[in-house]
Amino acid sequence: MVIGVESRMLLLPFIDRGPSEQAMATFTDRAWPDYPRFLEGVREHTQPGDTIAIIVPAMRWEAGYSYAFYRASYFLTGREVLPVLTPHDEPLPQNYRAAKYIAVFGVGLRIPPDAVWRSRRGALLRQRQR
Amino acid sequence: MTATLVAILSLTVFGVPVALALDRRARGPLLVGSAFLYGSGTMYFVLLGLSIAHIRWTLISVTIASLVIFCAAAFIARRQSAEPWREAVRPHLLDLFTIFTIFCYALYATLAKVWEWDFWAIWGLKARTFLEIGGIDWRFLESRWNTFAHPDYPLLVPLNYDFVSLLGGSWNDRWLALLGVASAVALALVARALAARETTPFFAALLTMLVAALGFSRYVGLAEGPLIAFGGAGILFIRAALEWDDDACWRHGALMLGFAANCKNEGVALLVSVTIAVVASSWSSAPARLRKLAPAYVLATPWLILRAAHTLPTDLAQGSAVSRLLARLPHAHQILAYLAEQLSSPWFWVVILTGILIAPAAARRRERFIFLVTAVQLLFYVTVYMATPNNVHWHVLSSWSRLTTHLAVPIAFAVFLMLANSLRGSQDAPHAEDPRPVVPARSDE
Repeated sequence: MVIGVESRMLLLPFIDRGPSEQAMATFTDRAWPDYPRFLEGVREHTQPGDTIAIIVPAMRWEAGYSYAFYRASYFLTGREVLPVLTPHDEPLPQNYRAAKYIAVFGVGLRIPPDAVWRSRRGALLRQRQR
Repeated sequence: MTATLVAILSLTVFGVPVALALDRRARGPLLVGSAFLYGSGTMYFVLLGLSIAHIRWTLISVTIASLVIFCAAAFIARRQSAEPWREAVRPHLLDLFTIFTIFCYALYATLAKVWEWDFWAIWGLKARTFLEIGGIDWRFLESRWNTFAHPDYPLLVPLNYDFVSLLGGSWNDRWLALLGVASAVALALVARALAARETTPFFAALLTMLVAALGFSRYVGLAEGPLIAFGGAGILFIRAALEWDDDACWRHGALMLGFAANCKNEGVALLVSVTIAVVASSWSSAPARLRKLAPAYVLATPWLILRAAHTLPTDLAQGSAVSRLLARLPHAHQILAYLAEQLSSPWFWVVILTGILIAPAAARRRERFIFLVTAVQLLFYVTVYMATPNNVHWHVLSSWSRLTTHLAVPIAFAVFLMLANSLRGSQDAPHAEDPRPVVPARSDE
């Protein structure tokens, strides 16, 4: 019984849960706390069916791109999120070209004035050829 | 939170006639616990059926389809009559501590939005994607860019999340973890009802407390919780069915295992493990008993056909699994040693093994079905690690602790009852005078 019951959880009603709530709420995006808000902005400025490529500072799969791509897939459901590199870090230029929009987050690019939308740390760009 | 609570209540009400149609004697904890599980499993098939029929999921379409099933089940249930089980579940003071434990787990699971990586990359992602188009998005599942979401995984959990979202009017992942809590509660209620048939209220209450704790998955929002609940309930019902040769327990067990197979691929493996264990533990009557397991396979089949029809890739099967297995066989001892090293809650398993060793031999023989299921399922897991296309160490680290939780409830249930009943002696067991007649004959037989 003692081993089966998680004794730490039994303390939850008697402690200040605020720090735990804060820790859990920020756990997923602890590296890039602004990223979810950025993705919500991208969602507001795109339509279901749109294709979106993601550019982030970590352009290596295991170094953060997988997180950025998966997280974007979750926030941008209904759109098609395209990775611009493979899990083996090979570039996928065809996805960059195929995307209607490029969502750029946390990268020090000079954002063109005709960006569809911009936030403090990123921007949504529409591909010119489309 | 209201939408999730209403969804849990709706699923339970939806499941009541289904549970009674299968077992008219069900009452109290057994009825409530199994009703939630049947409601959850049946709602999955409602949404799956609507999607296959190209009927968009709306609150109206889902309600109409559910009402048809509800009325049909109620009609079947009303035509049957049977006396309830002789051993009514009697409450015990220890139940208050179990309720408190569940409350604490619910607090933990709802500290924040569901935070697990696998929730927003697999289970929640699929649910949210499907909700966008009001049906299963096969294009999303078939896309080669979305293999990270494991398109081959069964959809019971995402479709349950979609039901909550339909009730709530939009996607909101803040309180979805309560569905996992409800699964754990349902399993505890089923275990309580089954334990009450075999032991005293004190031991049954103590065992329920343990099942509630083990049945709660720390992997919030993932399919582990529902798999533990459906799989655990299925194994416990089949155990009871083998013990008493009770048709209602066979039906419960088979359907619960069928739903487990729609939670995760491990649920399909569990169904095979149970089948092997049923055959091995009752060789002479195996054909008849296997027929009683058939509903489980009927429930598991639609998703297996759909995923084959849509050629949804299974990452474990890519390349040659057999050659990987053969290549790693010489290193099997190293892999086993690593599994032992990475075992989550090792003391729990030490206690379980010790309990098995010190229990009377007759009690061990009585529980051989659960021991066999556990052993075969563990063998499946080890075989997968031997054949994985991934790095073995990474694969073990990222899954082994979760996989062992799938088996904790049934084995703990068996060992606890073995020890509790040997402590008490068999003379005062509720059914000591005759283990069979406590099961009234079905009125339709």
